[in-house]
Amino acid sequence: MTAADWATAILLPLGALFALTGTIGMVRFPTLLGRMHASTKPDTVALLLILAGAAFRLPDVPTALPLALVAVFQFMTMPVLAQTLGRVSYSRGMVVAEHLVTDELEEVLEKRRAETGEAGRGPVDGQG
Amino acid sequence: MLNDAAVRMLGRLPMVLWLTAMWAVLWGDASPGTLLAGFGVGAGCYAAAKLPHLPVRLRFRPLRAALLAGRILLDLLTSSVQMAYYALHRPGRVRGAIVAVPLRTDSDLLMAMVSGGLSLVTGSQTIELDREGGVIYVHGVPIRGEGDVPRLRRDVRRMEELFVRAFGSAADIADFEATEREMDAARAAGRGER
Repeated sequence: MTAADWATAILLPLGALFALTGTIGMVRFPTLLGRMHASTKPDTVALLLILAGAAFRLPDVPTALPLALVAVFQFMTMPVLAQTLGRVSYSRGMVVAEHLVTDELEEVLEKRRAETGEAGRGPVDGQG
Repeated sequence: MLNDAAVRMLGRLPMVLWLTAMWAVLWGDASPGTLLAGFGVGAGCYAAAKLPHLPVRLRFRPLRAALLAGRILLDLLTSSVQMAYYALHRPGRVRGAIVAVPLRTDSDLLMAMVSGGLSLVTGSQTIELDREGGVIYVHGVPIRGEGDVPRLRRDVRRMEELFVRAFGSAADIADFEATEREMDAARAAGRGER
């Protein structure tokens, strides 16, 4: 086996392992935000490792460059997706307060609601 | 008139060059003909999409950017290992926190970059960005108790500083440092009263 073979043999299974733990986390974490954390980070690492592993199987750099584009777009789109989902889940009251140590956003929203005199519905806190 | 148009064209040039580079990468070939065609297609797409011209005022410091990239990769790796551990070991008991962190920069682009970068690293994720107040709301895991909350806040502030120093213009950095001094002074005064 050549050095490139070894690199692929190590990087690909490692990437697959990260993808597996990300998916296990997605199933096992009880809250939506926890699931987001579990799926976004390990999956990005998994994708990078798998792309790197695949790059070692290609004959030269120009043919491997499109793989780098895949990584660039993952880095550009993943935070947008995570942020959009996080924001929507928060405003829809899907963030469960018992899993939060502090929630400074809720404090600010409450203050703002008190100022405007609006009886808006905040995130689920068991009393709303 | 002509001058205005020239400035607009120049402002769009980086984006068109990036599209050209992508074109060349996808064709797997950097011959002049491919580059010319890529430039044409890029310029055409840009014109057809009628994207607004953003006044991009950013500097790029390669060394600082490399530092930032290294930091992000390292954080990404450690937070992945951490999340993997918690995914297997009692995920139900992992708690998080949402903290409000006042940002010290006032540049739209830098704020966007910081909030994107935060979603990539150390178990943090942007929930909400208050543009007017310059406050970012970040959800972080795992938080084992009140003691971890200042750590999360510190991580957010450090990430902001890395982004500002890597991409901010001289004015952005001066602005950042002035606000930081102001905040430090305010905090010191607050402590003095108590």
